[in-house]
Amino acid sequence: MLSDAGLWVGIAGSLVLWVSSGTLAVLIGVVLAAGSLSPHRPVRVLARVGVNLTRGIPTSLLVIAAGIGAMRLAGISGLPIVFPGTAAPFQPLAWALVLALALGSAGHLAEIFGAARSALGRARLEQAAVLGLSRPRHAAMIARECAAIALPPTGTRLIHHLHNTAFAGIFPVAELFGAIQGRASATFQVFHFALLGCAIYALLSGLTWLIFRLLEAALAPPVARQARTRLPAWS
Amino acid sequence: MVVNLLIGLPGDRPGGMVLTLAYFFMAGAAAFAAGFVYAAICVALPRASLVLQGASAVLRGVPLILLVFLLAHVSLFATGAAGLLALTLYSFGHVGEVLRSFLAAYPKPAADQARLMAVGRIHEWLHLRAPWTLWRSWTALITHWISLLKDTGALVVLGIGELTTTAKELSEVSSSFEQWATVLIVAAGLYLGATLTLIKLLPLAAGKLFGILQQHHGADGQGRERYA
Repeated sequence: MLSDAGLWVGIAGSLVLWVSSGTLAVLIGVVLAAGSLSPHRPVRVLARVGVNLTRGIPTSLLVIAAGIGAMRLAGISGLPIVFPGTAAPFQPLAWALVLALALGSAGHLAEIFGAARSALGRARLEQAAVLGLSRPRHAAMIARECAAIALPPTGTRLIHHLHNTAFAGIFPVAELFGAIQGRASATFQVFHFALLGCAIYALLSGLTWLIFRLLEAALAPPVARQARTRLPAWS
Repeated sequence: MVVNLLIGLPGDRPGGMVLTLAYFFMAGAAAFAAGFVYAAICVALPRASLVLQGASAVLRGVPLILLVFLLAHVSLFATGAAGLLALTLYSFGHVGEVLRSFLAAYPKPAADQARLMAVGRIHEWLHLRAPWTLWRSWTALITHWISLLKDTGALVVLGIGELTTTAKELSEVSSSFEQWATVLIVAAGLYLGATLTLIKLLPLAAGKLFGILQQHHGADGQGRERYA
C-alpha cells in the first residue's frame, strides 16, 4: 500500500496545503491580535469582528464556499503552481482553499497570541515599555517572551489545522484524505486504507508536536525557562 | 431549505441546527463522562494506563473526517450512529486529556488534608477533586466544545454519509450552486450565532456554578479560595 505513488503525492499535497495555509494563518492571526490591541477604536472593532467571524464559522463551510467560488471564477491565472498532483486548471482552486483554511485558523491563533501577551502581566509589559527600545526591537522582545507561552497552544492549533486540510479532499485537489478515499474506493480495501490514513495523520501530528516542543525549548527566554513549570500535554 | 437548516432531521439535506445541537450534546456528554473515567484511571494508575494514554494520543492525531469515513464504511453502525460515535471518540480524545492533566495537578496538601480529616475516598473524589478539576479546566473545555460544535455542524449540514460527494455535485450544477450559496451563507450565519452564544453563555454558566459551589461550601474566604 505504501508503494502507491498516489499516496505519496497525497501526503506531499497535504504538507504543501498545511505549510502554506498555516503560515498565512499565523500572519493573519498576528495582524488580528495586533489590531485587537490598537489604541484606535475602529481598528480594534474591525479586528474583533475578524476574530469572531473566523472563529465562529466552521472551517468546512469556509472551504466549501471558497472552493465553489473558485470553481465558478474561471480564468484566474498568474498564481504559482506549487500543489503536487493537482492539475494546472485547479491550482487557483487550491490557492482559494489555502485562503479558506488560513481564515479558519486565524481567529483562534489571534486569541492565542493575545492571551500569551496578557499572560506576561502588566508589570512585565510596563518594564519592557520603559526600556526605551525602538518599536521593532520592543516588538521582537515581547514576541520572544510570548513564544514560550504561545508555542504549545499554537502547536495544538496547527495540528488541528493539519486535520482541517482533509476538507480540501472534497475538491479535485491532491491531498492525503482524498488519496486515501480514492484508493479505498478503487481497491475496496476500505479498512486497510482508512487505518493507513489514521496512522499517517497520527504520525504527522506527532511530528508537529515534537517540532513545537523543540522550538519551545529553543526559543524560551532564560527567565521563562527557569520559571516554567510542567505544562499540561493538551496545552 | 431554511427550515431544513434550522430543524433538518437525519435524511434532510442540508441538515439542521436542532440536529447539530442534539449530536453535539449527546457526543459532548458521553465524551465528558468517558473522559472523566479515563482521567481517573490515568491518575490512579499512571504506569498501568500508559497504553490507554498512548491510544488516546493516537486518537487525537486522527482527523474527525477520517474517523467518520472509517466508522461509516467499516463498522456495522448506521451512518448517523457512526457519525455520533466518531464525534464522541474525537471529543473523548481531547476532553480526557484535558481532565487528566488537571486532575493530575490536584494539590497534594489538599489530598493529605482530606485524608487527615478521614474523608472517604469516594466522597473526596466527588466533592473535592471533581469540582476542583472541573473548575480549573473550564476554559480549556469551552475551547474544545466550540470546536466540537463547529465540527458537528459541518457533518450535519453536509450530510455524514455524503460529506465528500456533496461539494463535488453542487459545484457541477449551475442551479444548485445558487441554491447552495444561500445554504452556505445561512449556515455560516447560524453557526456563527451558535458559536458566539456558546462563547458568551458558557462563562456565565461557569459563574453561576461558581456561585452555587460557594453557597454550598460557605461564602467564607476558605470556600472562595477553594474554587478561585
